Amino acid sequence: MSQFTEVRVPRAETVAIVLTAPNQVKLSGTITQKDPAQDLAGFFKALHNAALADKLSEVRADVSGLTFVNSSAIRLFVDWATWVKNERGERYTLRFITSRNVTWQKTSFMALMSLAKEVLAVEHVT
Amino acid sequence: METAENPPSAQKVAPYPLVFMRFRPAWAYIDGIREFGRFFCQTTFGTRELADRACVVLQETLENAVKYSSNSSDSELELSIESDGSSIEFSVSSLPDAAHLSSLREEMNGLSTLDPEQAYLAAFVRASNEPESSARLGLARIRYEGGVELSMQEEPGGRIRITATGKL
Repeated sequence: MSQFTEVRVPRAETVAIVLTAPNQVKLSGTITQKDPAQDLAGFFKALHNAALADKLSEVRADVSGLTFVNSSAIRLFVDWATWVKNERGERYTLRFITSRNVTWQKTSFMALMSLAKEVLAVEHVT
Repeated sequence: METAENPPSAQKVAPYPLVFMRFRPAWAYIDGIREFGRFFCQTTFGTRELADRACVVLQETLENAVKYSSNSSDSELELSIESDGSSIEFSVSSLPDAAHLSSLREEMNGLSTLDPEQAYLAAFVRASNEPESSARLGLARIRYEGGVELSMQEEPGGRIRITATGKL
């Protein structure tokens, strides 16, 4: 049984979160609250741990519908990439599905790739 | 002719601020002011690219100003947007608590030693290496994603003014 799909999805005011496949999470909306880690850090960590437990080779994080986020939210993606990068055992590729039309995604995922390109992939959709 | 469909151009109203707002430092206002800034820049200058840059500048400067404002009764924030027709300037004045002022000075000085892209990448590396510390990505993000240069002026009475200036 997939642990990934059993992860409890948090309710957040401005962002819709859906687990759309045994290895995919989709986020859409905006994340601009003061401390987004309260809602999302534990959720991302649970997805990370579940992906390891399920021995997934890839996790897809579809953020193409996230139209705007603050830097505290970008920090959460940095943390997730860092957990995968620092994993000593079997690890998965963290693939971000991004939109070419959303400015923050172009700049921030470029920077994120430079940080952990051995475990990250960035895919662009329109 | 200025109508609702044809807003005044930046050149016609300079050197006066195109926008001036004064408000209490409350987190709840930031989303609304950011989206007004997006609308204003899109409508006045006609480019979505500038509207997106304005959103980053406004979100991150206002977040910093709200987070670190003192509790005193004169801690209202002032936001202005000005343009001379070739550049745009966003300015946020606030009254920060004393503890934040020294770390802000240090961060502003550190930023100026790197170009915007290098500084943003360095901020990502720092965030990755210091998972328990606060993100501190905001100012570097303003410069790189916002396409602006930042400066800080300290004003009488303890107020500071963060100014972001970039090309239209």
